[in-house]
Amino acid sequence: MKQSGGDPDEALVARVGRGDQAAVQALVARKLPRMLQLAQRMLGDAAEAEDVAQEVFVRAWRQAPRWIPGAARFDTWMHRVALNLCYDRLRRRREQTMAEPPEQVDTGPAPDRGLLARDTGARVSAALAALPERQREALVLCHYQDLGNIEAASLMGVSVEALESLLSRGRRALRVALADLRE
Amino acid sequence: MNRMDAKRFETLAEAHGAAIGRWPRDDQDAAFAFLAEAPEVAQALLDDARLLDEALDELRPPSPSLALRDAIIAAAPAESRGWSLGRWLAGAGIGAALAAACAAGVVIGVDIAAPSGASSLDAVSQTVAVEDDWIALPEMESQS
Repeated sequence: MKQSGGDPDEALVARVGRGDQAAVQALVARKLPRMLQLAQRMLGDAAEAEDVAQEVFVRAWRQAPRWIPGAARFDTWMHRVALNLCYDRLRRRREQTMAEPPEQVDTGPAPDRGLLARDTGARVSAALAALPERQREALVLCHYQDLGNIEAASLMGVSVEALESLLSRGRRALRVALADLRE
Repeated sequence: MNRMDAKRFETLAEAHGAAIGRWPRDDQDAAFAFLAEAPEVAQALLDDARLLDEALDELRPPSPSLALRDAIIAAAPAESRGWSLGRWLAGAGIGAALAAACAAGVVIGVDIAAPSGASSLDAVSQTVAVEDDWIALPEMESQS
């Protein structure tokens, strides 16, 4: 099997483009967890994350037969599609929120905070959801998706310096929000 | 390699966390050098960043369900669909070519003075050959 030096998915995508079912299954095994986790961390909603992951693959199946290797990594392209879909949903949420203002969410200390603190994952999820979208995106791409700073900055359409600033501000806000977990 | 000071090291730890291996590649050598030069300062900054890393790592979204995986795979284009399309197009090509041949025959029949229908027959062969190449290509590639 030919393996491209630039894109580790190139040969697999070519086979998917020809309708090779083994390649389809391999691509799903390789990418579905990443796409689902990306969407889950961006949206904080399991059902919406599944919808996004499914739509990413619908587009991937359409894209694979006409994919031209070399221009970008297929993984990067999938991330871009997933992020666009997440932003569509976040925008719809904002529009809905403006139409129907929700009840104020209390993020400060509360008597039952101890119960919640036991579930660190839920606390992190809530803190992540409270970040400005661009800071959250930077953190999700770099910390969770493990993308390099150049690739993440390129995906976000910002400079490497701007990405570093978004990461710093995001992590600083999370440290404040999760300060009680550090004690 | 540029030298790194404590301020830059702190900025990078604050932005990228405690794993220097995940920092920008251009900064990693200088960061390891600073860690060797000033281990106490550097280690304190890394320990601080690690606390947040560990908290972030507690957020573990569930694995994809089998139902989701199966639905995604079911939506993928099947290999046979490509073949069907190829065969349909090949069939359409042959049909069109035969129709063209018939039309040529009619023309020849009407105009006796016209040259033989060889050029039309060539066109049929050409069309089939082209279609054969077109449908054979995916199979050849799938074997490579």
